[in-house]
Amino acid sequence: MADSTVTSTNRIDEDDDSGLKRSITGVQLFFYTLGDVLGSGIYVLIGLVAAAVGGAFWIAFAAGVTVAAITGSAYAELVTKYPQAAGSSLYVQKAFNNKALTFLVTVSFLSASFAATGSLAAGFASYFSELLDGGPPALLVSLVFVAALVLINYIGITESVVMNMLMTFVELSGLIIVMIIGVWYVAEGNADFGVLTDISVSGNPALAVLAGVALSFFAMTGFENTANVAEETIDPYKAFPRSLVGGMIVAGIVYVLVSMAAALTVPTDQLAGSDVALLEVVKQGILPFSTDLMTTIFTVIALVAITNTTLVTLVTQPRILYGMAREDVVPGVFAKIHPTRRSPWVGLLFSGLVVGGLLVTGTLVTQAGGSLDIVERLALVTVVFLLAIYALVIVTCLKLRGQDEDERAFRANTPLLIVGLIGNLAILYYAIYDDPTSLYWCAGLLAVGVVLYAAEKLFGSKGTAATAPPLEK
Amino acid sequence: MHVIVATDGSKQSLAAAKHLKSFADPDKITDVSVVAVIRPLASVAFADDVSDNKGAWPTGSFRDAAESAVASIAAVFDGWGPKVHKRIRSGSAANEIIKAAKQYDAGLVVVAAGGRGLSDSVLVGSTAQRVQHYAPCPVLVVRPAPRKGRKA
Repeated sequence: MADSTVTSTNRIDEDDDSGLKRSITGVQLFFYTLGDVLGSGIYVLIGLVAAAVGGAFWIAFAAGVTVAAITGSAYAELVTKYPQAAGSSLYVQKAFNNKALTFLVTVSFLSASFAATGSLAAGFASYFSELLDGGPPALLVSLVFVAALVLINYIGITESVVMNMLMTFVELSGLIIVMIIGVWYVAEGNADFGVLTDISVSGNPALAVLAGVALSFFAMTGFENTANVAEETIDPYKAFPRSLVGGMIVAGIVYVLVSMAAALTVPTDQLAGSDVALLEVVKQGILPFSTDLMTTIFTVIALVAITNTTLVTLVTQPRILYGMAREDVVPGVFAKIHPTRRSPWVGLLFSGLVVGGLLVTGTLVTQAGGSLDIVERLALVTVVFLLAIYALVIVTCLKLRGQDEDERAFRANTPLLIVGLIGNLAILYYAIYDDPTSLYWCAGLLAVGVVLYAAEKLFGSKGTAATAPPLEK
Repeated sequence: MHVIVATDGSKQSLAAAKHLKSFADPDKITDVSVVAVIRPLASVAFADDVSDNKGAWPTGSFRDAAESAVASIAAVFDGWGPKVHKRIRSGSAANEIIKAAKQYDAGLVVVAAGGRGLSDSVLVGSTAQRVQHYAPCPVLVVRPAPRKGRKA
């Protein structure tokens, strides 16, 4: 006790197992990836994809997930080289060292995340209306949903890894129900496998599939958010390649089986016309259980799935804004951390408002007589942004070869990366060609970023970011 | 006695560390462990408000932020007597602080607690509350002094 030797070390203790403790295990990372990917899209978009392709729409999912898995391998290589949360922005900065480009990528990523949240929230409202017949209007449901998630995020409930895994299991169980229904139907001998090769849309079948890929690609996104936990992952060199590529392959198998099950059990035009297409599969009453009960259970599962993915997108937005504020490219107020809750409340509130703005705009356009499916439009906007980023990340991955190499780092297959690059660009081209009006939405979202940048340059002062008001003295 | 000083990077946690030093007898304390917990799934996994290197955050690494915050808190105890350890953990803040207390066989845990804002009185689940309830040893919860004049 009387030992008064001062041994205040300058480095962090590594002498015991707790000096530099990381907490995310490989298994957790795998389920984080899977949960992120599975919730976005398949519950919401499968009807639209069926409409674009016909009964063979599983091909669109298979093609899309292949491109996404290759992109995932590029992310895995980069994340093992640069295990920091900034993700694509960091890689692009490392490769090109061009501030304007990095800013554009960051703002695009932020915009993609806003649009994705909007699409998911609108999808949530579609499923919610199945639960409460004649319930509140969809816009109100989606706005309340976003507001609730902002609040949950502020409180910090989202931080539970266990909760995340539980929600992913629920998410998977919904898709497994669909697969079981499909298998049951086949076993009963009712299935007409001809539908699986039916590309009923007039015109070039390859283009029809490409259209389906562009639409379904929203279901493949989300894996890029795993960079969020890069720093906190145990043994990232092993965990990331396995979780990212493995997670995408599992998601791909699930998607293909689910779309086959849906195509076999429900007439394609009925799927195409439905906002809640996967629910149509359950409503067919193929399983020998009460259809009403199954419908309710499945609806709740779908709501949980969408919530899980939306939570991750809403965690990402304030984080990006925080990083940008620290870099002095957006106003310092976004670096404000609540003194006790430790959450970036300004960024969170702002994100909620932007997403709410997107939902209100979408509803207004529809009311003004514009033919607009808000889920589809925002999903497409997300896809346009992300495809451009994915293509750039693959280029970045190739450009950074030979730099910061570490023998433990994962190395993606180069010919595959080139296939992935072409795939991303082809889908991007088609997505824009097919629906150029989505570019207006993209421009609108980018403008938000530019306005923030201008605000910082005009009114901000350097270093405002980290100046917290003094608490005492 | 081994004392754990927890920091979430807030000014209040710096005040808590100073408060401990203001009254405790360094001869009775053998070790001080400054513990920061990174929350991997939070929007901002760790924010450092106690260090001087404001603005600089080139890597976007929350681990760097945690390391600089721990260093700033540890600096409070420079030359005070007890051996100072800097530790960074990852996971849920309250759980990790409690686990650390068990692991190091701590005799005291020092945590900072809440403001007087609406969210702290209405919302449940603050880290300090959970540490108080489940820690294996006495807990010193340092609350902010009443606010005068200018709003923080």
